[in-house]
Amino acid sequence: MTTLDALAPHRRDHSLSLWIGLILVGLHVAVALLSLVWTPYDPTAMAGGRLEPPSLTHWAGTDRLGRDFFTQIMIGSRIALIVGIGAVAIGAAIGVTLGMLAAFASRLLDDALAATLDILIAFPTLLIAMLVVAASDTASLGSAILALGIALSAIVARLTRILAKRVLVMDYITAARTSGTSWIGIVFRHVLPNIWPTLSVNFALQFGLAVIAEASLSYLGLGAPPPNASWGRLLQEAQGTVYTAPIGAVAPGIALVSLVIGVNLLADGLRDIGDPTRRLAR
Amino acid sequence: MSLLSIENLSLAAADIPLVSRLSFAIAPGERLGLIGESGSGKSLTAMAATGLLPRAITASGSVRLGGQQVIGAADRVLDGLRGTVSAFVFQEPLTALDPLMRVGRQVAEPLRRRTRRDGRDLDGDALMREVHALLEQVALPQPDRIARSYPHEISGGQRQRVAIAMALACRPQLLIADEPTTALDVTTQAEILKLLDGLVRERGMALLFISHDLPVVAEVVDRVVVLKKGIAVEEGPVAEVFGAPKDEYTRSLVAAARAFDAALEGTP
Repeated sequence: MTTLDALAPHRRDHSLSLWIGLILVGLHVAVALLSLVWTPYDPTAMAGGRLEPPSLTHWAGTDRLGRDFFTQIMIGSRIALIVGIGAVAIGAAIGVTLGMLAAFASRLLDDALAATLDILIAFPTLLIAMLVVAASDTASLGSAILALGIALSAIVARLTRILAKRVLVMDYITAARTSGTSWIGIVFRHVLPNIWPTLSVNFALQFGLAVIAEASLSYLGLGAPPPNASWGRLLQEAQGTVYTAPIGAVAPGIALVSLVIGVNLLADGLRDIGDPTRRLAR
Repeated sequence: MSLLSIENLSLAAADIPLVSRLSFAIAPGERLGLIGESGSGKSLTAMAATGLLPRAITASGSVRLGGQQVIGAADRVLDGLRGTVSAFVFQEPLTALDPLMRVGRQVAEPLRRRTRRDGRDLDGDALMREVHALLEQVALPQPDRIARSYPHEISGGQRQRVAIAMALACRPQLLIADEPTTALDVTTQAEILKLLDGLVRERGMALLFISHDLPVVAEVVDRVVVLKKGIAVEEGPVAEVFGAPKDEYTRSLVAAARAFDAALEGTP
């Protein structure tokens, strides 16, 4: 029994970043869910005059077609969350699998995979996503998510490969092998749990990256087509009227930034809780 | 038939020989010590015994574990031997335990594999009861608390006891202990050694004990092989080899151990 024993178990240190992250992400999730059943106005209907400033009836004003801007932002939350979760899920599925294969592969295959990943990472995520969207017939929310997922998978794969390789040389892997644990068992019982804290934080970064990239795609007209109110498309539409009605650019901008920051803070806080060895260090 | 029989084993990394034409055998219940200084190839030989050499190292010769040729065998075949015929205890108990897995679960892993092998699949509660029984057998206090702890929450000596419990969970015919007391302080060392010795005798396990520490080796084994730079320079019963070493290298090891003892007792 050491002094460490008294400190370590069951200590819950909910950090500030965890709480702020939880609130920001929770707000977006709540708004996105709410938008499924209720929005202040019909998102496609002309609810008021054109380019009205924020008021009690239109909280964020109206756009150049007279549609309620707050309604559009709410729908945008939904789209951003779908894109973020979808792209990260695809990126993680492809990336973790590839990275794990590379970590276990023979030297030659590993080198080939690593070189391919390095080349892919050298291309900006957005560029890869644009190429994938261009390769599909029509721009849709689905193709944007797939494109972003594929673009993110290279980063996830490289990270997984490095992290897994670092774990694979540890004594406890050898120890598990000497007691007859199969490679599959090693992957699921030892490697994944040990790289998960780092991976999950990275997934949150990827989530932010995906949300921003989707906004960029939409801004360029390669994302979800109208009437899907992606924040990127709202920004693009506001571009022409940014001096007369700045709220059109400010509101989606705030929504975008608050979601991305929220997810990153949340991931940071969760990592500290998820990793028992870090509870001591704090 | 020998449990482990090594014949003309040579190990090399690239073109550098690490172990050359090493031969020894361990019969069921027999206790053999493999001694030599750091870098003499002791640990590599132990890893070669279960086919767990790093990729960069090539092996030639013959290693038969439980009658099965290990060199060149597929992992699928060897996985069946590891944990069944042989189990390991390593030098550094902190790194030999998964830092993110509770101790109880780590012991439960090999235990469940073994009970499944024996034809009885243990579930949650029954499995945990056996885990606690194992933790008690290695003389860990408060097995409930230890089972719920992470490796960094218990002491070094306790961690090594957990590692021994994991090896025992396999119920192996041969226990391979690679410097199991080196990372521990002297009093803990003596306790762990006594525990290991008792458990091996009690269960009639064979033991391959690897160490650079002569007095420690002498305490637990019947026979020793002395390795120097990958070559076996001397082999025989403990009393013979340490009492009247024939090889120059063995003599220097014995002399060094004597000088150390003398220094401790304050006599020149």
